[in-house]
Amino acid sequence: MKDPARYHPILPTLVHDERARQDFVSTLRRHLTGRIVPGNAKVYAARVAPRLRRDLGREPADRHEVRHAMERDPYYQFWSAMQRRSQELLWESVLEPTERDSAAMQQRAKALRNAGRPGIATSAGSLTLDPALKVPRYHTAVDIHLQPGGYHTDFGPDDLSAGAIYDRGIQIYSAGSTGPLNDSMGRMMVQFYREQVPGAAPRCILDMGCAIGNSTLPWAAAFPAARVDAIDVAAPQLRYAHARARAMGAAVHFSQQNAERTNFPDASFDVVVSHIMLHETSRSALRNILAECRRLLRPGGWMLHLEIPRGKTVLEQFQMNWESYNNNETFGSFITDIDLTEQAIAAGFGAERTRAVDYALHRPQEQRLYSDYFLWRILIAQR
Amino acid sequence: MARTKSKIVKKSASRKPVRKAAAAAPPVPPVRIARVAKGKKPQYFSDPAIDKLLWMTMSLMEELSVTRDRLDTVERVLANKRVLKVAEIEGYVPTESAAGERNTRRAAFVDRMMRAVHAELDEVTARGAPDGNDDAVAAVSS
Repeated sequence: MKDPARYHPILPTLVHDERARQDFVSTLRRHLTGRIVPGNAKVYAARVAPRLRRDLGREPADRHEVRHAMERDPYYQFWSAMQRRSQELLWESVLEPTERDSAAMQQRAKALRNAGRPGIATSAGSLTLDPALKVPRYHTAVDIHLQPGGYHTDFGPDDLSAGAIYDRGIQIYSAGSTGPLNDSMGRMMVQFYREQVPGAAPRCILDMGCAIGNSTLPWAAAFPAARVDAIDVAAPQLRYAHARARAMGAAVHFSQQNAERTNFPDASFDVVVSHIMLHETSRSALRNILAECRRLLRPGGWMLHLEIPRGKTVLEQFQMNWESYNNNETFGSFITDIDLTEQAIAAGFGAERTRAVDYALHRPQEQRLYSDYFLWRILIAQR
Repeated sequence: MARTKSKIVKKSASRKPVRKAAAAAPPVPPVRIARVAKGKKPQYFSDPAIDKLLWMTMSLMEELSVTRDRLDTVERVLANKRVLKVAEIEGYVPTESAAGERNTRRAAFVDRMMRAVHAELDEVTARGAPDGNDDAVAAVSS
């Protein structure tokens, strides 16, 4: 059996106790999500909601009223504290082997960059970094998802660490639901796009906020004749993404750019896509990104943004926003109240060609996060 | 938050200049990655000490789990090499002297773990300290 922790050769090696730590974090998180999280809705129904109704003299009006009441409940408090600690333990368990193996990992990446792979031209794909690019404040103000150093920090010259940490980190975070190649979101979006646009044969595809390119690669695999570009503001992610794509035999052109304003000419792409990027930006960045998507698309081209669901009821909305307050996803709470369709129309997309769709994947209980029904949200618009 | 940058140690080059000069490529220095995420940490309990205790408890859970996994590995490797049979461990009954040593060690362990509780009792018995720190201050201030 292929070791999931080393599904491609760039990933850090693991010695015995490092692997045992990651296994523990996986088991712990499965327990928290599968066994403890469902209790939150139960204590809410049994003791928090009745008291809240009594105090307010009405039903709670929004998720904030629910949150303030739940934050005083001992069951929720204890889960919340443990969930937070499990996220910290997750990163610790991944960053320690990354640090130990960093020098060898760089050598592996370098060898691949220079030599390519059998059957793949060394010119396949590319990496273009821009040391002058200013990493936006919504990335640097806090470390997103509690990943120490965030996505963007270089801990040494030509550093790949943040990418390696993210790659293994999301496998553990998602309890394996991202699949053996960590690419389930990309595969889902390709499938969704094909359902929407039967017979689609895009020639140029752009993935925004690509990080390690894990969601980019399914696009390259699905449309081998297309040129695939992928951008991100974080250099260590892109260095890693490039080496990872090489290791996995994919040709992608990675460049360090801000999705709010790229250097691609007008009407460069048939598809512009992002995978859970929008909620890591800001109010103004969201407007800029949607306008930039419109500028970059050819007439008839498609914009697709995958987003985290934010719940329908006030209880669901409260649950789906735990990470906004406890996992450094500050914009998550704001985007909950933003109508993405309206934003896209304001950015110039035609109202009749723009909509937000709920998309469901069936998952076992331990892979569900904060709701029984994990409905993805996809913003789709045609230029 | 401290974001440590990697340091390149150049000491060895000056100590052994001749040998080092012949080296083909300089080794890539390992990085030092930050351990703590930037951003305000929420306080979950009325007393921040409880937050810290839970933090420590979960780290202990992790290390105990790691130790059990390692012990399991040791047993399996030794069993594969026919050094021991796992059934031998399951069926092991200590001799009288081994049991005595084990009981003493286990009791000492429980004692250490319970010291926080004993300390509170000590304060209200003869061995305990009086209210406040006045005696200790008086003892050293003259």
